[in-house]
Amino acid sequence: MSGISEVGFLGLSGALLAVGLLGVLTRRNFVLILVAIEIAMNAAILNFVYFAAYAPTAAGLSGQAIAVVLVGFAATEVAVGLAIVLALNRARGSINVAEATELRL
Amino acid sequence: MSLEEVAFLLLALVAVVTAVAALLVRELVHTIMWIAVFFVDLALIYFLLEAPFLGVLQLGVYAGAVTVLLLFGIMVTRKRIFSREAATGLGPVPVALAVLTFVFVVAAVGELPMAEASPRSYAPSTLSTALFSADGPWVLLLGIIMLTSVSGAIYLVREGRE
Repeated sequence: MSGISEVGFLGLSGALLAVGLLGVLTRRNFVLILVAIEIAMNAAILNFVYFAAYAPTAAGLSGQAIAVVLVGFAATEVAVGLAIVLALNRARGSINVAEATELRL
Repeated sequence: MSLEEVAFLLLALVAVVTAVAALLVRELVHTIMWIAVFFVDLALIYFLLEAPFLGVLQLGVYAGAVTVLLLFGIMVTRKRIFSREAATGLGPVPVALAVLTFVFVVAAVGELPMAEASPRSYAPSTLSTALFSADGPWVLLLGIIMLTSVSGAIYLVREGRE
């Protein structure tokens, strides 16, 4: 199989990171912010898988191993995020992050 | 243009479109549907990159577990799950920051030494052997972090904390 250009993969990764960043900065619903973080996280994992596949030596295997660990991290992060969503909903009756201002001075 | 390149271009297009759609649609349940398509699409890209173990993991953990968790989060925080979000604009500063990030990443790619080679594939058995030998510390670290964060999550949602 012939190689697909690096610019394609890393460009896709950069685009997904930008979309995720945009989502985190503009959305007000906590679940949507979690979704945006997942998109950015997937951009990072795509990078690891890409460099694992095109590494010059068999050291690329570590890249795939780190990608496996990152998928686990992302799942953990959603679980904690969801716990925060539930706690926020119980405390304020809304998961709009603009209303969560308890820590503001 | 080879078949792989065409497949990749299509998958990349679907990935970007579904990611943007997931964040822009106003029904939260539609967001979850778009993000599920996004996760499956990325799994296909992993198969294209000759990483079948990660492709299956992506399908199981992301398309399966994370999607259901997010749906659960919407379900328990709304009275009617198909209700619409209030429209929030994008604003010039976040858009500028996102475009700047994209330009920065693409410019950095230009600095990389380009190697024209075919992707190296690793058998799932090779990867799983590595996960339990050379890369074992990562897995242990993941286990410790998961345990800690699950304790934290249970502390956050337990009854009578206020």
